[in-house]
Amino acid sequence: MDLTLDDEQEALRTATADWCRAHMPLEEARSRPTGLWGDLEAMGWTGMTAPGMDLDHATEAVVFSELGRVLAPIGLISTTVARRWFADGFDGKVALALPAEEPSDMRVLDPDGSHAALIWTASGLRLFDMPNDRTHAPTIDLSTDQSRQQWTTSVSTEDAAAPLHLQLLAAAYAVGCADAARDMAADYARLRQQFERPIGWFQALKHICSDMAVRAAVARSQLYYAACSLDARDTDAAFHIAAAKRLGDQAALDNGRANIQVHGGIGMTDEASPHLCLKRAHLLQFIAPADAALLLEGAA
Amino acid sequence: MDIGFSVEETRFREECRDWLHANVPAEKRPLDAADAIGFDKAWQRRLFDAGWAGINWPADYGGRGLSIVQQVIWLEEYAKAHAPWIGANFVGINHGGPTLILNASEEQKAYHLPRILKGEAIWCQGFSEPGAGSDLAGIKTRGRIEGDELVVNGSKIWTSFAHVADWQELVLRTEEGSQRHAGLSWAICDMHAPGITVRPIKKMSGQTEFAEVFYDDVRIPLSNVVGGLGNGWKVAMSTLSFERGTGFIAEQVKAGQEIAELVTTARANGMIKDDRIADQLSQMRAEVAALRAMTYRNISEVVRTGQPGPEASVIRLFTSELGQRLERMAVLLMGEDMIDFAYGDDNAVQDYLRGFAATIAGGTAQIQRDIIGERLLGLPKSR
Repeated sequence: MDLTLDDEQEALRTATADWCRAHMPLEEARSRPTGLWGDLEAMGWTGMTAPGMDLDHATEAVVFSELGRVLAPIGLISTTVARRWFADGFDGKVALALPAEEPSDMRVLDPDGSHAALIWTASGLRLFDMPNDRTHAPTIDLSTDQSRQQWTTSVSTEDAAAPLHLQLLAAAYAVGCADAARDMAADYARLRQQFERPIGWFQALKHICSDMAVRAAVARSQLYYAACSLDARDTDAAFHIAAAKRLGDQAALDNGRANIQVHGGIGMTDEASPHLCLKRAHLLQFIAPADAALLLEGAA
Repeated sequence: MDIGFSVEETRFREECRDWLHANVPAEKRPLDAADAIGFDKAWQRRLFDAGWAGINWPADYGGRGLSIVQQVIWLEEYAKAHAPWIGANFVGINHGGPTLILNASEEQKAYHLPRILKGEAIWCQGFSEPGAGSDLAGIKTRGRIEGDELVVNGSKIWTSFAHVADWQELVLRTEEGSQRHAGLSWAICDMHAPGITVRPIKKMSGQTEFAEVFYDDVRIPLSNVVGGLGNGWKVAMSTLSFERGTGFIAEQVKAGQEIAELVTTARANGMIKDDRIADQLSQMRAEVAALRAMTYRNISEVVRTGQPGPEASVIRLFTSELGQRLERMAVLLMGEDMIDFAYGDDNAVQDYLRGFAATIAGGTAQIQRDIIGERLLGLPKSR
């Protein structure tokens, strides 16, 4: 039993964080440079658990929570999962469709440059060709576009671990998003002065930040446990990953709101970054959502 | 990362389970400390005789010298077997003993540690005072040095098990005119010494478990000072960080059983059909799982680096508040029967009323939030 990062994981985490700071900072989430996708592919994150690299999900969860911290493209999650579970034919970027019932249209997130879309259900994954004549519309998350598409022919996987993999990576993104809001709030509370002292001196503000730290730590711990349970193909993996998604989503949303409050006036603006975390958190709620009934059952 | 246990650890778990299955007493632990003292001592002795006391304490002082992971396994199985709360032995086992292991002289350790493990010596804690609660450094109880003795005057409050205790971990001011954290010492006080008066305090849950303690020229040999004169704050803090690390595993495991029982109860009485209740229960189920994950993460940090990680203070706060939410839910599920509660009842209402201590004792939730904000997030100190 060990839920700490080993040296290799720590090195990968640091390298990911450094790269993101230099090439994909959170502040620029709404206008990513063209050509970023090629760089992301070159970094190898989409192939971490695919045949050839075969790293474990624990390492992947560590890295994806770093990517989530800078609000990295949603397409990274779906592409990574598609590469792990679908053998051939989908080399490029894969967009992510939100769960939907046939025949109503699917909402496809991050469609730019994608030739395929992955749709999640709790029992399996399906991969669709995407039409070329689509139009893109914005979402509440200013870093993510969407398009609509009809159900076309698809390939699918019934492997029970495949939808869990996608839910795990979405949870990792949420944990990163919660971390980002916490750090942004704490940084601001150390710097911003009122009544001739940093606002973080006041317990009313300090305790808001402490609660953000608690939520982030709780969600991250469950994320690591959940990733290990998937690696071990544990019978309780579905429960643990659902718990990680629920706690991650909640931490991302609650921290997103708290971060805006800590920032005061500037926190309400379009110009400052806090709203980017909150809006990403709202989007993540709809990606592979945790099943309340499954949570109620608990682990064996 | 890995959530599996080794073959050796799994075998150890089976040993724990087998022994507990055969030995957990059928009768319930009495509620009131004075009635429970015999029960507590006998149970602790039985644990010691069978080799289950002080699993990760040094073997030289009666412990087993096993790993902290084995200690966690034991506590998990202990809770699963519904073994009784260690009650009056709590302070000695979870607080006084660990402080001695970290700070005491060979002589002090050799005398006290085996007695704690055997249930022969009951310990209590003398930290808080009427004027020093959250502001613990405001301690006024003083010990004047006279020859090779301290002469103690003052008072302590909220001292659990004071009226049944043999020894006390007493933090007092031994340097005249000293301020705040300086000039304090941590001493072993004989609770049977002349000049000590104990006034038990009844809790709002009905039982008498803590007390106020008065010291009137109480004489303590200087050889009972632990960690050296004037180092009391440092010695006291060494154990607080122990508490924040691994001191609450039993509660964390218990939370896992409680949530399972709550779901069963809510299904049986139909209240699960209330969406808000179902939602809260599923939320708490996820949180209980996360609490275990966080504990495992902290334990593996201890194994890797020798000390709890910076997030250990988060565990303490989260455990206490989650525990209270579980207790509130249990009372909610009782419906109107909860108003039948009377002192002496040992039920969910009792647990709920006792549970208020969790966010007050040993550092309030507000002090915990200060600590998290300042040490984990680097916010400026408010005090």
